[in-house]
Amino acid sequence: MTETFYEVMRRQGITRRSFLKFCSLTAASLGLGPTFAPQIAHAMETKPRIPVLWLHGLECTCCSESFIRSAHPLAKDVILSMISLDYDDTIMAAAGQQAEAIIEETIEKYDGNYILACEGNPPLNQEGMSCIIGGRPYLEQLKHAADHCKAIISWGSCASWGCVQAARPNPTQATPIHKVPGLAPKPIIKVPGCPPIAEVMTAVITYILTFERFPELDRQGRPKMFYSQRIHDKCYRRPHFDAGQFVEHFDDEGARKGYCLYKVGCKGPTTYNACSTVRWTGGLSFPIQSGHGCFGCSEDGFWDKGSFYDRLTDIHGFGIEADADKIGGTAAAVVGVAAAAHAGVSAIKRARQKGGEN
Amino acid sequence: MSADVASSHSEEAVYVYQAPVRLWHWANAGSILVLAITGYFIGSPPPAVGGEASASFLFGWIRYLHFAAAYILIIGFVFRVYWAFVGNTHARQIFLPPVWRGSFWKELFHELTWYAMIAKEPLKYSGHNPLATLTMHVMFVWGIVFMICTGLALYGEGAGMGSWQYDLFSSWIIPLFGQSQDVHSWHHLGMWLIVCFAIVHIYAAVREDIMSRQSIMSSMFSGWRTFRDGRPADDGH
Amino acid sequence: MATMQTPNGFNLDTSGQRVVVDPVTRIEGHMRCEVNVDENNIIRNAVSTGTMWRGLEVILKGRDPRDAWAFTQRICGVCTGTHALTSVRAVEDALGIDIPENANSIRNIMQLSLQIHDHLVHFYHLHALDWVNPVNALKADPKATSELQQTVSPSHPKSSPGYFRDIQSRLKKFVESGQLGPFKNGYWTNPAYLLPPEADLMAVTHYLEALDFQKEIMTTRTIFGGKDIHPNWLVGGVPCAINIDGELAAGAPVNMDRLNYVKGVIDRTLEFVKNVYIPDILAIGGLYKGWLYGGGLSSTSVLAYGDIPDRANDYSPGNLMMPRGAIINGKLEEVHEVDLRDPEQIQEFVPHSWYAYPDEKKGLHPWDGITEPNYVLGANAKGTSTNIIELDEAAKYSWIKAPRWRGHAMEVGPLARYIVGYAQGHEYFTDQINRTLRTLDVPVDALFSTLGRTAARALEAEWAADMQVYFFDKLIANIKAGDTATANVEKFDPQTWPTEVKGVGFTEAPRGALAHWIRIKDTKIDNYQCVVPTTWNGSPRDNEGNIGAFEASLMNTKMERPEEPVEILRTLHSFDPCLACSTHVMGPDGQEMAEIKVR
Repeated sequence: MTETFYEVMRRQGITRRSFLKFCSLTAASLGLGPTFAPQIAHAMETKPRIPVLWLHGLECTCCSESFIRSAHPLAKDVILSMISLDYDDTIMAAAGQQAEAIIEETIEKYDGNYILACEGNPPLNQEGMSCIIGGRPYLEQLKHAADHCKAIISWGSCASWGCVQAARPNPTQATPIHKVPGLAPKPIIKVPGCPPIAEVMTAVITYILTFERFPELDRQGRPKMFYSQRIHDKCYRRPHFDAGQFVEHFDDEGARKGYCLYKVGCKGPTTYNACSTVRWTGGLSFPIQSGHGCFGCSEDGFWDKGSFYDRLTDIHGFGIEADADKIGGTAAAVVGVAAAAHAGVSAIKRARQKGGEN
Repeated sequence: MSADVASSHSEEAVYVYQAPVRLWHWANAGSILVLAITGYFIGSPPPAVGGEASASFLFGWIRYLHFAAAYILIIGFVFRVYWAFVGNTHARQIFLPPVWRGSFWKELFHELTWYAMIAKEPLKYSGHNPLATLTMHVMFVWGIVFMICTGLALYGEGAGMGSWQYDLFSSWIIPLFGQSQDVHSWHHLGMWLIVCFAIVHIYAAVREDIMSRQSIMSSMFSGWRTFRDGRPADDGH
Repeated sequence: MATMQTPNGFNLDTSGQRVVVDPVTRIEGHMRCEVNVDENNIIRNAVSTGTMWRGLEVILKGRDPRDAWAFTQRICGVCTGTHALTSVRAVEDALGIDIPENANSIRNIMQLSLQIHDHLVHFYHLHALDWVNPVNALKADPKATSELQQTVSPSHPKSSPGYFRDIQSRLKKFVESGQLGPFKNGYWTNPAYLLPPEADLMAVTHYLEALDFQKEIMTTRTIFGGKDIHPNWLVGGVPCAINIDGELAAGAPVNMDRLNYVKGVIDRTLEFVKNVYIPDILAIGGLYKGWLYGGGLSSTSVLAYGDIPDRANDYSPGNLMMPRGAIINGKLEEVHEVDLRDPEQIQEFVPHSWYAYPDEKKGLHPWDGITEPNYVLGANAKGTSTNIIELDEAAKYSWIKAPRWRGHAMEVGPLARYIVGYAQGHEYFTDQINRTLRTLDVPVDALFSTLGRTAARALEAEWAADMQVYFFDKLIANIKAGDTATANVEKFDPQTWPTEVKGVGFTEAPRGALAHWIRIKDTKIDNYQCVVPTTWNGSPRDNEGNIGAFEASLMNTKMERPEEPVEILRTLHSFDPCLACSTHVMGPDGQEMAEIKVR
């Protein structure tokens, strides 16, 4: 027998009053407003916990570590009362064959009805054997689990874009989930970030459970509710940007006054994430508030744009790797010098012709 | 104007640049100047100003000027495209280089030899010479289209989802380039393309004004093309 | 060849039944373990294999050295930050950059918070299920559990019978729901679990309490580094400028409000470690003190680089509050000095790793590392290259290289640090060890065990919690004295750098000694190499046939049921393995990448 969130919460001694309060807090954290609280309560009272297989490919486990730091809801409540985390090699009790058996059991019992959460990505080089699970390539496990799932959540920048192991020259050919060849065509929700914000991760899960639908996604597959705006758009230092007040270098007067970090390379103006609104670990801070520019960890290919401390970032192509001012400035200088030289030669030629005519 | 007419009235000036084209040209030049300067500062801001943030709006003004000049440029460009349909034949020239004509390439080659100082004299045109036509088409027309599209895509990011700029431009251009930072970088590089074009354009205009067989600079003020010799024009006008 | 003796003193016998565990779970990253057990189910041969690699050192080539911390931080999200700190130290060493005192204090607080968080989460959420049986907790009497709690930790407020009854009923319904989640397919009937139901219930309760509390520990890093996981660091100091009472202090990274928050977290952390973590370790340790397997190399060969400089910029052993030194041949009376720059001391070998050297008899110092991937299975391996049934440890069998200190396989980690500290007479460590041995009523030799490793980790968390207080006070005193500097940016601009420099940075990661070697040429990274704790502990055999720390620790352990690897997991987990760290480098498709380090 499966049980509902509400039953679980009641049994752990939570009163109905507290339960409803929790629902309204969840609604608030999702930005849904108080009118949605009854819907959340209803959903939690009636639904069994949805099975989740959380697979790990090439990654650093930062997504899992972020997840357990969620302040609302607590990771404990997500794991014990909201989802049924049947496979997650980072925390599961079983190992070896007993662990692998769980995947088969879940597929058998919940075919087409479980969520596949992917942390990290599969490498394609070396026959996929740069990431081995149970003696076989991780790629196989991923594709097998994807064949029978309801939908895929791509946790973090590894699963969403490729992240650090896919940075140039991507030696393992680490491949983001949506680009894995031969992967079953399932809905994919990307939750990028290195790692994603804990409360964003748990909110995506609670949204799916509560409303029994997937969040609305933007063109790149990210939930609009958290990724539709740049960090810059709601940054508390934005007034300093507009005023032209910048940190010129670290620990200067501007840094102490909380001026804009644009000139020391902040990528807030080009990064879609909720850091300046939701903030980190229960809304405590975010990189810019702590004095370091954003370096765009939720954006595709952010590792390959040149130094994090440069405003103008690198352009790759035609064998060149330089920022726009270097390329463009050089081109303009060449054109200018060429024009001047051409003018000089033209003048000489004209003078000679005139001399000849005379 | 047919070749016959041109030869029989060889000393006559030709009305090439209609008033709207001239007005557009100078408005366009002005907005490009503003865009390039403000754009450069957006990439490399001037030294920080002090005092209360509420007391100054320096960077806000730089960006505002950039956006205002950009809208002048965009509206002007849209108008210019419209004028290509309703204006005289010269108004269409930079949009439609006759690349399908053998003579175009032949004359273009001749123009190249003129610039390489091999040919003794250039051909005579009342409109643009083929080299100028092609340069303007590739570097200017497509360059400006690129800058308008990427510029609106970047503007749409600030305007936000639901704005027409976001829906029409940002929504597909940003994923096309990879991410927002790339669009910024290429937009910035596009500025340098326009700068290169401007250098070539101004130099060529000055040089042609002095050395070619027709007027150049003054024509963009008066609209009339005058000629230095009575022989027929090569572009049949 | 069924039996053989290794130079480091272990008798290997491969004649018995082969047991394969893949994946080894509740670790960071991916790993495989194979053992042979004899007719009495005693482990007589052990093989540990790193089963992933990512290639970060290849990726780092040609990058801006000031960015390296961010890349290397992504080596691992569990020991997040320790690679970043090691990296900024390596770059500062190469460029000769001194950091301000405040930056040193803030970095130390961040590093110490990692030690505490990592140890706590490791024990409760990765390791506890090797000792604690949550299903057995259902049989507990909440009243007796309450009494047990009040005995082991009188000052912990959550100890009423009703509290334990609520937890137990939550657990009961969870189990009865049939959706066991992470506890599914656990080994809950295995006789290797020795705790009485009350101790199980107490521990499970603390599993949940610790899960709730752990998220607070590193919030100090969210304040100083802007986010956690993966906070921000800076070559030359820390990015968080201090503004206590100046204009616009409210919007500054570090102000009075932020410092108060940090202080609160530090105090609560100390309380939790002293009231929950330490008592739990003593309680569980007391009930398992008859199970003293897993000593492995700890009684003979241990290594520590040291960490937590008291004063900024002085990395000599005397200034490091975490001890530094190497012990070999079990001679605790002689602690050797460790020099990371000496090409004779640290070397890496590959005869049993999936890489090729021109001469595999020789080891290479990290400065001169070579990488040529060579993924081949031995002649006696069973299965195919993409479906491994059994490995052949006589040939190459792991993506981890075999680092050696003067030819010795070494154990690193909290136990190694405590043994080195104990041998050197480190006052705080010695007091803790003596107190623990007395409480558990066991001899010093009991330290050299799986349990000793787990206990050392807890003791270190306690030490780190106290040290956080020390460095917070130091930070405040320094600010009070008028010094608010947090970064030295004199050499931040690459144009001020010499053409060619090299440096080395080190830390003690939660799992053990960690160092990065960097060469900078024309303002870009020319070569970057890391030797990480799990490379030491998880190393395969070397050219002489010495087995690594994981393998050694599994030897001679009795398994209750070979098909249920509880004992293997218990001992491997006691090292807190981190495979993403140990196996992050490779070259693609067998093509040679000279000067690149692989493990």
